[in-house]
Amino acid sequence: MDVKLVNPFIDAFTTVLPQMGFPTPQRTGMTVNNQNAVSQGVAVIVGFTKEIRGNVVYNMSEDTAKFIASTMMMGMPVESFDEMAQSAISEMSNMLTANAATNLTALGLEVDISTPSLTVGSDFQIKISNEQYLCVVMDVSGHQVEIDIAVQQ
Amino acid sequence: MEKVKVMVVDDSRISRMMVSSMLAKTNFEVCAMAENSAEAVALYAKTKPDVVTMDMNLPDADGIECTRRIHAIDPKAKIVMISAMKDAKLIMQGRMAGIGSFLQKPVSTNELIDTLMIMCNENVGAVAVYRESYVTTFAKVLQQSLVSIFGIQSEVEISQNEESVLHVDGVAAVIGIVGEPKGRVALYMDSETMYSLSKAMLGMDPQDDLSADEAEAAIEEAGNIITGRAVSRINDVFKDKEMRITPPGTVIGSDIILSNPELISFNVVAKTSYGNVFMNVGFARGV
Repeated sequence: MDVKLVNPFIDAFTTVLPQMGFPTPQRTGMTVNNQNAVSQGVAVIVGFTKEIRGNVVYNMSEDTAKFIASTMMMGMPVESFDEMAQSAISEMSNMLTANAATNLTALGLEVDISTPSLTVGSDFQIKISNEQYLCVVMDVSGHQVEIDIAVQQ
Repeated sequence: MEKVKVMVVDDSRISRMMVSSMLAKTNFEVCAMAENSAEAVALYAKTKPDVVTMDMNLPDADGIECTRRIHAIDPKAKIVMISAMKDAKLIMQGRMAGIGSFLQKPVSTNELIDTLMIMCNENVGAVAVYRESYVTTFAKVLQQSLVSIFGIQSEVEISQNEESVLHVDGVAAVIGIVGEPKGRVALYMDSETMYSLSKAMLGMDPQDDLSADEAEAAIEEAGNIITGRAVSRINDVFKDKEMRITPPGTVIGSDIILSNPELISFNVVAKTSYGNVFMNVGFARGV
């Protein structure tokens, strides 16, 4: 898949998170994978379609998810990854993907995004592509968020 | 649930009878019938219907003019046009006059009820609209597809999902829905059912070997086909709505929670001789 399609997703991540009170995230890794992704605890799948079709997954540990949810809720303590915290992570994934969609439009590729599907569990597999997909690791205050991006050719 | 009042405007007595008989056993109640534009305006003011079905050809003014006159007394009036003709020009003129939806004669009962449900969703509630107009179609398509894809019969049940999470042990194919309304479908089952179904799909014998990858891919493709068919069928009914689907994403493992707190969702269970096939259909809140 085309590496240039990844930038809209990375740009969305580095633009949207500071707006929600996070320090600017740093990209710490990028690989091309063909094995199924493995859940780190919390994984949100968002599908998109129109001029390009595919899926993006935001994959993180439950600790990271709680940290993000807490920051999004103005520092409110998040003891367990409850429904409110799940809503926050779903909403973040929605905002990130909507922002990436806007960035893709700037490249002349219009996409519509689905509602996010949040999954919780340990070590389960996530398959978003029959072929290769790109895996980007972003660091937010020492917390790692993996972004898996698959675009159908 | 409170009855939703409908006024039928049509110069043909037969057409008026057809519409009222279609609504006879439903939650809609015909509160007035008018055979011309003047009568329609007078009866609208008197009976205050929730929705109006409007014919195009009326003896004293056409359906578009009649719509304008009704909107003059109630700008929020909900009007669906039912006419023999339905073309781009008519739709454009009708939209400008404030007609919300267009149906072509002869109208099927389902089409009429679905359209009235959507138009009156604030009266009947979003849950009922989703259930009656969307989820029942998904359930029918699931049942038919189990026959056409896997060659198995099933009993299908629909219930509203009261919990905000689904528990998956095995495989779940998740397919996003974009357009209006937005949502997602999850087709899921345990591993044993996955293997049995995918072997049936591929024409294999139960004792044949099938890799996990291939079995998962079969369920993913089945989810894709079933969702695509259901969405196409719904798009055919609501000509001015277009839903599309995103490629499937699949999760595989045990003890997975699929959470969608912000969706109104429904569980569809198909009981088959190979085990239960679950489909959860969820839509974003707010039609």
